[in-house]
Amino acid sequence: MTLLGIALAATVIALSPARVSAQEVKAPRFELKDLNGRRVRLSDYQGKVVLINFWATWCPPCRAEMPDLVRLQRRHGKEGLQIIGITYPPESREQVRRFARSLKVNYPIILGTRELKARFSSDETLPLTVVIDRNGKVSEIISGILLREEFDEKIKPLLMKNVEGGIRSAK
Amino acid sequence: MVLVVTFGVITAAAFTKTVTIKVEGMKCAKCSSSVTKALKATQGVEDAEVSSDKGEAVIKYDDQKLTEAKLREVINSTGFKAVGEPGQ
Repeated sequence: MTLLGIALAATVIALSPARVSAQEVKAPRFELKDLNGRRVRLSDYQGKVVLINFWATWCPPCRAEMPDLVRLQRRHGKEGLQIIGITYPPESREQVRRFARSLKVNYPIILGTRELKARFSSDETLPLTVVIDRNGKVSEIISGILLREEFDEKIKPLLMKNVEGGIRSAK
Repeated sequence: MVLVVTFGVITAAAFTKTVTIKVEGMKCAKCSSSVTKALKATQGVEDAEVSSDKGEAVIKYDDQKLTEAKLREVINSTGFKAVGEPGQ
Protein backbone atom coordinates (compact mmCIF):
# COMPACT_ATOMS: atom_id res chain seq x y z
CA MET A 1 0.00 0.00 0.00
CA THR A 2 1.32 3.42 -0.94
CA LEU A 3 1.79 6.19 1.61
CA LEU A 4 -1.22 7.98 0.13
CA GLY A 5 -3.27 4.79 0.44
CA ILE A 6 -2.33 4.41 4.09
CA ALA A 7 -3.18 8.04 4.76
CA LEU A 8 -6.56 7.66 3.05
CA ALA A 9 -7.36 4.46 4.93
CA ALA A 10 -6.47 6.14 8.23
CA THR A 11 -8.75 9.07 7.38
CA VAL A 12 -11.62 6.73 6.55
CA ILE A 13 -11.15 4.81 9.83
CA ALA A 14 -11.00 8.05 11.82
CA LEU A 15 -14.18 9.39 10.21
CA SER A 16 -16.22 6.22 10.12
CA PRO A 17 -17.59 6.04 13.70
CA ALA A 18 -19.48 9.30 13.29
CA ARG A 19 -20.92 8.23 9.96
CA VAL A 20 -21.99 4.74 10.95
CA SER A 21 -23.02 5.47 14.51
CA ALA A 22 -26.69 5.81 13.70
CA GLN A 23 -26.70 2.74 11.44
CA GLU A 24 -24.62 0.12 13.15
CA VAL A 25 -24.63 0.65 16.87
CA LYS A 26 -26.68 -1.41 19.27
CA ALA A 27 -28.67 0.93 21.52
CA PRO A 28 -27.20 1.32 25.00
CA ARG A 29 -29.12 -0.71 27.56
CA PHE A 30 -30.70 0.86 30.59
CA GLU A 31 -32.98 -0.06 33.43
CA LEU A 32 -34.87 2.71 35.21
CA LYS A 33 -38.20 3.26 36.88
CA ASP A 34 -41.05 5.15 35.27
CA LEU A 35 -43.24 7.72 37.03
CA ASN A 36 -45.41 4.92 38.42
CA GLY A 37 -42.43 3.08 39.88
CA ARG A 38 -42.58 0.39 37.19
CA ARG A 39 -39.21 -0.93 36.04
CA VAL A 40 -38.47 -0.08 32.40
CA ARG A 41 -35.72 -1.82 30.48
CA LEU A 42 -35.01 -1.22 26.83
CA SER A 43 -34.84 -5.00 26.39
CA ASP A 44 -38.51 -5.21 27.44
CA TYR A 45 -39.34 -3.80 24.02
CA GLN A 46 -37.23 -6.13 21.92
CA GLY A 47 -38.84 -6.66 18.50
CA LYS A 48 -40.53 -3.26 18.59
CA VAL A 49 -39.57 0.03 16.95
CA VAL A 50 -38.66 2.20 19.92
CA LEU A 51 -38.50 5.98 19.99
CA ILE A 52 -36.63 7.32 22.98
CA ASN A 53 -37.71 10.92 23.31
CA PHE A 54 -35.49 13.09 25.51
CA TRP A 55 -37.48 16.09 26.69
CA ALA A 56 -38.03 18.60 29.49
CA THR A 57 -41.06 20.45 30.80
CA TRP A 58 -39.19 23.77 30.42
CA CYS A 59 -38.53 23.16 26.72
CA PRO A 60 -41.33 24.66 24.54
CA PRO A 61 -40.76 22.44 21.47
CA CYS A 62 -40.73 19.36 23.71
CA ARG A 63 -44.11 20.36 25.11
CA ALA A 64 -45.42 21.16 21.63
CA GLU A 65 -44.51 17.79 20.17
CA MET A 66 -45.84 15.65 23.02
CA PRO A 67 -49.49 15.61 21.88
CA ASP A 68 -48.21 14.38 18.50
CA LEU A 69 -46.22 11.64 20.21
CA VAL A 70 -49.33 10.60 22.14
CA ARG A 71 -51.21 10.39 18.81
CA LEU A 72 -48.41 8.39 17.17
CA GLN A 73 -48.33 5.93 20.07
CA ARG A 74 -52.10 5.50 19.85
CA ARG A 75 -52.13 5.13 16.07
CA HIS A 76 -49.04 2.96 15.57
CA GLY A 77 -48.78 1.05 18.85
CA LYS A 78 -50.40 -2.04 17.28
CA GLU A 79 -47.82 -1.97 14.50
CA GLY A 80 -45.08 -2.24 17.10
CA LEU A 81 -44.23 1.38 17.89
CA GLN A 82 -43.17 2.06 21.47
CA ILE A 83 -42.30 5.54 22.64
CA ILE A 84 -40.36 6.07 25.87
CA GLY A 85 -40.01 9.59 27.24
CA ILE A 86 -36.91 10.40 29.25
CA THR A 87 -36.37 13.60 31.16
CA TYR A 88 -33.79 14.41 33.82
CA PRO A 89 -33.07 16.77 36.76
CA PRO A 90 -33.60 19.61 37.56
CA GLU A 91 -37.07 18.24 36.71
CA SER A 92 -38.84 16.96 39.79
CA ARG A 93 -40.85 13.74 39.71
CA GLU A 94 -44.01 15.55 40.82
CA GLN A 95 -43.65 18.30 38.19
CA VAL A 96 -43.18 15.72 35.43
CA ARG A 97 -46.03 13.55 36.70
CA ARG A 98 -48.43 16.52 36.72
CA PHE A 99 -47.40 17.54 33.21
CA ALA A 100 -47.68 14.00 31.79
CA ARG A 101 -51.08 13.56 33.37
CA SER A 102 -52.37 16.83 31.89
CA LEU A 103 -51.43 15.61 28.40
CA LYS A 104 -52.74 12.07 29.01
CA VAL A 105 -49.36 10.66 28.00
CA ASN A 106 -49.87 7.02 26.95
CA TYR A 107 -46.26 5.82 27.05
CA PRO A 108 -43.74 5.38 29.88
CA ILE A 109 -42.02 8.50 31.18
CA ILE A 110 -38.73 8.00 32.97
CA LEU A 111 -36.84 10.40 35.17
CA GLY A 112 -33.30 9.63 33.97
CA THR A 113 -30.05 11.49 33.91
CA ARG A 114 -28.21 13.79 31.54
CA GLU A 115 -25.50 11.12 31.39
CA LEU A 116 -28.00 8.63 30.00
CA LYS A 117 -28.81 11.04 27.17
CA ALA A 118 -25.07 11.47 26.52
CA ARG A 119 -24.77 7.68 26.10
CA PHE A 120 -27.10 7.95 23.12
CA SER A 121 -25.87 11.23 21.63
CA SER A 122 -23.53 14.11 22.36
CA ASP A 123 -26.04 16.46 20.72
CA GLU A 124 -27.43 18.66 23.49
CA THR A 125 -30.51 19.72 21.52
CA LEU A 126 -33.91 19.17 23.09
CA PRO A 127 -36.11 17.48 22.14
CA LEU A 128 -33.97 14.64 20.79
CA THR A 129 -35.47 11.40 19.56
CA VAL A 130 -33.46 8.21 19.19
CA VAL A 131 -35.01 5.73 16.76
CA ILE A 132 -34.27 2.08 17.52
CA ASP A 133 -35.20 -0.62 15.03
CA ARG A 134 -36.74 -4.02 15.80
CA ASN A 135 -33.26 -5.51 16.21
CA GLY A 136 -32.30 -3.03 18.91
CA LYS A 137 -30.01 -0.97 16.70
CA VAL A 138 -29.98 2.81 16.63
CA SER A 139 -31.35 3.69 13.23
CA GLU A 140 -31.67 7.48 13.48
CA ILE A 141 -31.12 10.33 15.89
CA ILE A 142 -33.62 13.08 15.25
CA SER A 143 -32.53 16.42 16.62
CA GLY A 144 -35.29 18.90 17.45
CA ILE A 145 -39.02 18.53 17.03
CA LEU A 146 -40.10 15.38 15.20
CA LEU A 147 -41.68 16.49 11.93
CA ARG A 148 -44.40 14.46 10.23
CA GLU A 149 -42.21 14.09 7.13
CA GLU A 150 -39.45 12.63 9.29
CA PHE A 151 -41.83 10.12 10.81
CA ASP A 152 -43.05 9.06 7.36
CA GLU A 153 -39.57 8.85 5.93
CA LYS A 154 -37.52 7.44 8.80
CA ILE A 155 -39.87 5.59 11.16
CA LYS A 156 -42.77 4.26 9.08
CA PRO A 157 -40.48 2.06 6.92
CA LEU A 158 -39.13 0.45 10.10
CA LEU A 159 -42.67 -0.32 11.25
CA MET A 160 -43.34 -2.04 7.94
CA LYS A 161 -40.42 -4.43 8.41
CA ASN A 162 -40.26 -7.49 10.65
CA VAL A 163 -37.24 -8.44 12.78
CA GLU A 164 -35.64 -10.28 9.85
CA GLY A 165 -35.96 -7.20 7.66
CA GLY A 166 -38.80 -8.56 5.49
CA ILE A 167 -42.07 -6.76 4.84
CA ARG A 168 -44.63 -7.38 7.58
CA SER A 169 -47.90 -8.82 6.39
CA ALA A 170 -50.94 -6.65 7.06
CA LYS A 171 -53.38 -8.13 9.57
CA MET B 1 -31.53 34.38 -25.11
CA VAL B 2 -29.79 36.70 -22.63
CA LEU B 3 -33.03 38.62 -22.31
CA VAL B 4 -34.96 35.45 -21.49
CA VAL B 5 -32.42 34.37 -18.84
CA THR B 6 -32.37 37.86 -17.31
CA PHE B 7 -36.14 37.92 -17.22
CA GLY B 8 -36.17 34.51 -15.50
CA VAL B 9 -33.76 35.70 -12.80
CA ILE B 10 -35.73 38.89 -12.19
CA THR B 11 -39.00 36.94 -11.95
CA ALA B 12 -37.59 34.45 -9.44
CA ALA B 13 -36.06 37.25 -7.36
CA ALA B 14 -39.32 39.21 -7.43
CA PHE B 15 -41.09 36.37 -5.60
CA THR B 16 -38.47 36.16 -2.84
CA LYS B 17 -39.30 38.14 0.25
CA THR B 18 -37.40 38.50 3.51
CA VAL B 19 -39.18 38.97 6.78
CA THR B 20 -37.97 39.30 10.36
CA ILE B 21 -40.33 37.87 12.95
CA LYS B 22 -39.86 38.40 16.67
CA VAL B 23 -40.15 35.15 18.58
CA GLU B 24 -41.01 35.04 22.25
CA GLY B 25 -39.77 32.37 24.65
CA MET B 26 -36.53 31.29 22.98
CA LYS B 27 -34.51 31.24 26.15
CA CYS B 28 -32.54 28.10 25.47
CA ALA B 29 -30.33 27.91 22.42
CA LYS B 30 -30.59 24.12 22.53
CA CYS B 31 -34.30 24.10 21.87
CA SER B 32 -34.61 26.99 19.41
CA SER B 33 -33.11 24.82 16.65
CA SER B 34 -36.59 23.31 16.29
CA VAL B 35 -37.80 26.65 14.90
CA THR B 36 -35.13 26.65 12.19
CA LYS B 37 -35.88 23.03 11.39
CA ALA B 38 -39.64 23.54 11.11
CA LEU B 39 -39.23 26.68 8.98
CA LYS B 40 -36.72 25.09 6.61
CA ALA B 41 -39.04 22.10 6.16
CA THR B 42 -41.85 24.40 5.04
CA GLN B 43 -42.41 24.50 1.31
CA GLY B 44 -41.58 27.94 -0.04
CA VAL B 45 -38.99 28.79 2.62
CA GLU B 46 -35.66 29.43 0.94
CA ASP B 47 -33.64 30.17 4.06
CA ALA B 48 -34.21 30.73 7.75
CA GLU B 49 -31.86 32.04 10.42
CA VAL B 50 -33.08 31.92 13.98
CA SER B 51 -31.28 33.66 16.81
CA SER B 52 -32.22 32.88 20.39
CA ASP B 53 -30.03 35.81 21.52
CA LYS B 54 -31.95 38.33 19.40
CA GLY B 55 -35.22 36.48 19.83
CA GLU B 56 -36.00 36.61 16.13
CA ALA B 57 -36.23 34.63 12.94
CA VAL B 58 -35.08 36.05 9.61
CA ILE B 59 -36.83 34.16 6.85
CA LYS B 60 -36.36 34.31 3.10
CA TYR B 61 -39.41 32.88 1.35
CA ASP B 62 -41.31 32.69 -1.90
CA ASP B 63 -44.38 34.84 -1.44
CA GLN B 64 -46.14 33.02 -4.28
CA LYS B 65 -46.06 29.84 -2.22
CA LEU B 66 -46.74 31.00 1.32
CA THR B 67 -47.63 33.99 3.44
CA GLU B 68 -46.15 35.60 6.52
CA ALA B 69 -49.20 34.42 8.45
CA LYS B 70 -48.32 30.82 7.57
CA LEU B 71 -44.73 31.40 8.73
CA ARG B 72 -46.06 32.66 12.06
CA GLU B 73 -48.20 29.53 12.34
CA VAL B 74 -45.14 27.35 11.74
CA ILE B 75 -43.22 29.19 14.49
CA ASN B 76 -46.14 28.86 16.90
CA SER B 77 -46.38 25.13 16.16
CA THR B 78 -42.91 24.68 17.66
CA GLY B 79 -44.08 25.88 21.07
CA PHE B 80 -42.70 29.41 20.79
CA LYS B 81 -44.71 32.51 19.98
CA ALA B 82 -44.41 34.78 16.96
CA VAL B 83 -45.04 38.31 18.21
CA GLY B 84 -45.19 41.82 16.75
CA GLU B 85 -47.23 43.16 13.90
CA PRO B 86 -47.08 41.33 10.55
CA GLY B 87 -45.19 43.13 7.81
CA GLN B 88 -42.60 44.70 10.10
